[in-house]
Amino acid sequence: MNKPEGSLKNKGAIISAKPSTKESIDDFLKKAMDKGVFDAVLIPMMVPAGDSFAYVLIEDKSLLKDAIPLPPIMSVQGGHAVSSVTRLGKGSMKIAVIMRPCEIRAAIELSKLGQTDLENVTLISIDCPGVLPISDFLSDPGKGMKQFDEAAKKWDDKIMRPVCQICDKSSMVAGDLHIGTLGAKNNTFLVISNSQKGNGILDELGIVTKESIDDWQAKVKNIAEEKHKKRKKNLKDLKTKIGSLDNLIDAFSQCINCHNCMRVCPVCYCRLCYFDSDKVKHPSENYLQMAESKGSIRFLPDTIFFQMGRMMHMSLSCVSCGACEDACPVSIPVAQIFSMVADETQGLFDYVSGRSLEEPIPLVAYKEEELHEVEDAND
Amino acid sequence: MEKKLGVYICECGPNIAEKIDIDKVIDAVSSLDDVAVVDRYKLLCSMDGKKFLEEQIKKQGITHLVVAACSPKQHEQTFMEVCINAGINPYLFQLANIREQCAWVTEDKDEATKKAIILVKAAIRRVRYHVSLEKKEIDSNPDVLVIGGGIAGIESSLLLASSDRMVYLVEKTSSLGGLITSYEKTFPSMVSSSDIIKQKIQDVDKNENIKVFTDSEVEESLGFFGNFQVKLKKTTEENEVVEFNVGAIVLATGSTLFDPDRIPQYGYGKIDNVITSLEFEKMNLSGRISLKNNKTPKSVAIIHCVGRDEVGYCSEICCMYSLKFVRYIKDKLPDVKVTNFYSDLCIPGKSDQKFYEETKGKDVNFIRANDIEITKQGDRINVKYKNENNKKSLPIDMVILSPAVEPTSDTFKLAELTGISQGDKGFFSEEHEKLAPISTSTEGVYIVGCAQGPKNISETVVQAGAATGKILSSLVPGRKIEPEVKTSQISESFCIGCKTCISVCSYGAITFDEARKIAVVNEVICRGCGNCVGACPSGAANIKHFTFNQIYQELMEAVK
Repeated sequence: MNKPEGSLKNKGAIISAKPSTKESIDDFLKKAMDKGVFDAVLIPMMVPAGDSFAYVLIEDKSLLKDAIPLPPIMSVQGGHAVSSVTRLGKGSMKIAVIMRPCEIRAAIELSKLGQTDLENVTLISIDCPGVLPISDFLSDPGKGMKQFDEAAKKWDDKIMRPVCQICDKSSMVAGDLHIGTLGAKNNTFLVISNSQKGNGILDELGIVTKESIDDWQAKVKNIAEEKHKKRKKNLKDLKTKIGSLDNLIDAFSQCINCHNCMRVCPVCYCRLCYFDSDKVKHPSENYLQMAESKGSIRFLPDTIFFQMGRMMHMSLSCVSCGACEDACPVSIPVAQIFSMVADETQGLFDYVSGRSLEEPIPLVAYKEEELHEVEDAND
Repeated sequence: MEKKLGVYICECGPNIAEKIDIDKVIDAVSSLDDVAVVDRYKLLCSMDGKKFLEEQIKKQGITHLVVAACSPKQHEQTFMEVCINAGINPYLFQLANIREQCAWVTEDKDEATKKAIILVKAAIRRVRYHVSLEKKEIDSNPDVLVIGGGIAGIESSLLLASSDRMVYLVEKTSSLGGLITSYEKTFPSMVSSSDIIKQKIQDVDKNENIKVFTDSEVEESLGFFGNFQVKLKKTTEENEVVEFNVGAIVLATGSTLFDPDRIPQYGYGKIDNVITSLEFEKMNLSGRISLKNNKTPKSVAIIHCVGRDEVGYCSEICCMYSLKFVRYIKDKLPDVKVTNFYSDLCIPGKSDQKFYEETKGKDVNFIRANDIEITKQGDRINVKYKNENNKKSLPIDMVILSPAVEPTSDTFKLAELTGISQGDKGFFSEEHEKLAPISTSTEGVYIVGCAQGPKNISETVVQAGAATGKILSSLVPGRKIEPEVKTSQISESFCIGCKTCISVCSYGAITFDEARKIAVVNEVICRGCGNCVGACPSGAANIKHFTFNQIYQELMEAVK
């Protein structure tokens, strides 16, 4: 995303059209489709059964009224959805995508990894109050819906997923446009541009960004700081609990090797997971060798190896979205563990996953002077 | 097929035998799976040793060979040849280095023996996962790309071009000749420069085996010795790209002068009649030495060593051309007072001393000076300096600065293009300062002339001859070359098509298959460096003979 020249993120526009914020957003998208700024919108919608949500590519703008920009659960990580649409090239359709910031960031990581082409995609993020754990929601969707709405209104994260409670990037502006709802009065919302593409779209819609965003920024900062504090504390506690190989093995001891965490992870980018491939199917003599060296060997094998391999592959791109933890059938705090590792590995390279399309992934940004802190002290 | 491993331990004379308990090693590995034979020999790399090994392989029906001896750098090739002679694939072999890594690193025989056992066991475990690899042969291209149309490039081209070898001579500017064309004469013989260079340019023009590209720059060079694919871009006509193949590349891009503007106390660019040596050469070549107001100077100062401290080296040629300037001046204006300010004089070689003494005899001052500061004094110039700790000054009409010789601005780009390195001074790095001063870390890429460091014309011509000799003896028309066998392989099922490998490949050996959305390795260009393996986010890239599994098996045994 090319940074707009001039004032960046310092001004926004207040959009107000309808009796509710949600309708104001619908209206904004509808106008953009009317003017041909977007040909389609990729946005969450409730499934017909009424008990879950899915991303839907809407071409018929009359359907926008059924869209739910902030669903109470993350049944599909939006980054995955975007990459499914554009994995094989950009196509001619101009698509707007409305997603939570962690989903936007996943899309940006996937773009760097060549897994999606964002040229004709406009990424629109929205202030995120968190999501409910899928299992909580599914036990009573109606109640979950109500609970989520109430909590979201008050920006109260107590019932949200643990990884959402420690998310300090819940209003991060990383895409082209951002919808700010924090502190918005009278069912309005604030729109902020974060790229030249975003500027162009607002121009085409005749929207002039002249409103101060200071109030919104102050609120975002407050929340982020509070959550950051909690994040530091929680992840530090977690590290003391699992900070050795033995403890880590214990943490994953209930793992049933279903690999759900890998399948729902938006940035687990491998076409075929190594651990699902024939490469890890060894002749029995190899297992015997392993058993011989350790006394015994657990089957199915490679449980911790799988987790660590996944960590090595994607912790630099992990956006702490929590999809893995939602998907874990045995309630291992996968997302919190991966968030902790991601904070450390990304920190080593001053990298924040999905912060910017221009920032190269650390594996290809070679610097002659780096990583001295992890070198052998005897060298 | 059943595996039959032969393990042979070399005593390396006393080198290994005295430092390692070889019998203990034999005991430790004899009963390992698939190990059919374990034996020792006094010197396996000797004629007798190689014969012994070859006979053993044949007689015992060995399928996989492990030799425990010296560094692979030293004798891996030797034992691979033994394998070929004995009829087994040379890649079904592993060398365990128990000399440099065990015998030579400790006085403690027990420790050395313990480690040797580990290394031999690891080699045995690894070799069981080796697979046969086949060598390929491709035709080598005898043609040569010469970059830079100065004396270095011209001389190289003339020596290289022949009926079976085309030379592509690429020059950035619009004409051949380089810096020499600005000189009236060359030191120390004071013969006419144009006599030297014009004849050579004519020879190039006449030679139908030299194709000259002026106003052109090299944009891309992929491949390796015997097989470089080159792309040129014409800088005058838009988008005109010329592509051809060559077997070797000569970098003869010359040098430029240190910009004296970087040292404000010389007043260059601010004070009239303070000029650089190259500006003076051009003025002298025009036939008249004069001041800005067209008057003839009565006194001239030549400042040596300009920028020497800044660049950190003596540029070798400035003293001699400064003396040549004295001759220019005295020939044209015998009454002019000439003063040389130097910090050290560099007058080496069999003929330069005589030149210096003859020049000195022409009523010329030589002042050893430091802390030189040049200021304006009315219409004239004041040279303030320190001589033996005394502050002095001298009013003067014209000042000639002799700046340090520096690499040209495209050195970086060309170093990247050809995969060679630049030394800390920015010049191209030679392979070895003394033993390989012409070749570079990239096989088939040679440096000639000032691109490698400051040089006079005769040294440059000598280097052109040397590079030519290297190329003619190694790049023989009709000879086959063997591409690397241990190339990268990118798994189609693991590749996610992110193109990360393409961005880190130093040889341009990876292309993208748009239809299948995966990266594809060109095995003829790949050199097996492993960059792609390190950068591949999904573990799709692997190097043959260094596969993840082979390394894993070896490591697991070593750390068991």
